[in-house]
Amino acid sequence: MLGKLLKYDFRSMWKQFAFIWPAALALALVNRFTLTLSGDSELGDMVAGIAGLVYAAILISMCVIAIIFVIQRFFKGLLGDEGYLMNTLPVKPWQLIASKLICATVATIVSIAVALLSIFLLAPLSAVDFADAFREAVQVFSELIARYHANVPLLIVELVVLCLVGLLASYLQLYLAMAIGHLFGRNRIAMSVIAYVGINAVISVVTTVLGSIFLQHTVWLFMGMNDWQIWHTVMVCLILFTAVQAVVFFFITENILHRHLNLE
Amino acid sequence: MSDLLIQCRGLCKSYGHKSALQGVDLQVDRGRIVGLLGPNGSGKTTLIKILCGLLQPTAGEILVDGQSIGTHSKSVISYLPDRMYFADWMAATDLFDLFHDFYTDFDRQKAIAMCESLGVEPRDKMKTMSKGTKEKVQLVLVMARKAQLYLLDEPIAGVDPAARDFILSTILTNYNEEGSVLISTHLISDIERVLDEAIFLKEGKVILHNSVDNIRETEGKSVDALFREMFRAQTLEGGNF
Repeated sequence: MLGKLLKYDFRSMWKQFAFIWPAALALALVNRFTLTLSGDSELGDMVAGIAGLVYAAILISMCVIAIIFVIQRFFKGLLGDEGYLMNTLPVKPWQLIASKLICATVATIVSIAVALLSIFLLAPLSAVDFADAFREAVQVFSELIARYHANVPLLIVELVVLCLVGLLASYLQLYLAMAIGHLFGRNRIAMSVIAYVGINAVISVVTTVLGSIFLQHTVWLFMGMNDWQIWHTVMVCLILFTAVQAVVFFFITENILHRHLNLE
Repeated sequence: MSDLLIQCRGLCKSYGHKSALQGVDLQVDRGRIVGLLGPNGSGKTTLIKILCGLLQPTAGEILVDGQSIGTHSKSVISYLPDRMYFADWMAATDLFDLFHDFYTDFDRQKAIAMCESLGVEPRDKMKTMSKGTKEKVQLVLVMARKAQLYLLDEPIAGVDPAARDFILSTILTNYNEEGSVLISTHLISDIERVLDEAIFLKEGKVILHNSVDNIRETEGKSVDALFREMFRAQTLEGGNF
């Protein structure tokens, strides 16, 4: 059933981004050309300036569309009028949430990939430049490995995992805030915002308390470690802490949609 | 499969201080067309939404097809809500795909045939359709299923009298006769002839639940006349003028 839900969520995602993703890439290519015009003449400068502005506007709109997409697909799609359709389908509430979450995450990752790709398209780099950049990166990494005994590939994996888990946790926090907001008969949007702020406050209290307890009892652990090992331990703790947050948000949201759904 | 399609015991629902349902006890058999009748604000929509799982009762028990509200009950209920529930980007055919994917009892061919007879072009986008056409698409989706329980919330409220007859005949010719149909409305005269049973809801309580034949026999008047009498009396009592 999750697969079937995803099918429709991905279709609606495509409707949302079908213009903006290709437009960002196309505008990057246009800029690659117009950049060569700047400096030649006043007209060239103007054309390059306008093309640059349009490109920037497209990238900013892509960000805005992505954020609105994440919020709207949950708020309108599950808690608004569309919720009358989705919540009466013979599926479990966790599948509805998971489908929205996966779709939102994919939309975000593709948007980031499009933005990065557009920068590469924009910059007049040749294959030789890329090879040079790659060689330099390898050199920097090997120096790091030599100096700190760092496991750089593992470090990169940890960074990527942390970003991904952080993304999931932040979207689930938005979902939870909206689920709490929808419990109120009136001012659901305002209540969602208040709930979001409230969750943030709870997180910072918990982080402070847990963090100080954790440090008090684990300082001895860090004594014999080198820089890399400390870094590695901190990363793993951060990933675990963020993952626990995500799981807690997911279960509370599921509980609200399962036991307290309130489509008045 | 349970003999009783709907069983409610002591069902209550309140919105803050306002009480929408107050101890509703109800049993509905299979193969019946039931009118859920009451003035605006009597709790009709609340009861239907609880049956669909869109609202949770404050107290009491509710079973559909012998099971509490969940994926099973949702798979046997075909629900026509009182509002539009589709995303603008979809065409009717996208919705047919969706229903086909999620409901094993959805008959795509029947849906296409119903669209033809209702004059709807299924490949049109929802956002280009008029309100009336959207309502027809929603009715097609609901009636093209061979469901156990059809829950129709005010299916004829927003349309002109000619279209009412059309919608009623669509419902009558397409529902699954082993299942039951629960129609909520306050326009009783229009649907009285199709009903087997009538439930009168007043201020969140069932004040009458009987077969239409029994009502005519014991009261000597139509359901519509009885309804007007019962609910007019309430106004006079309250108004004291």
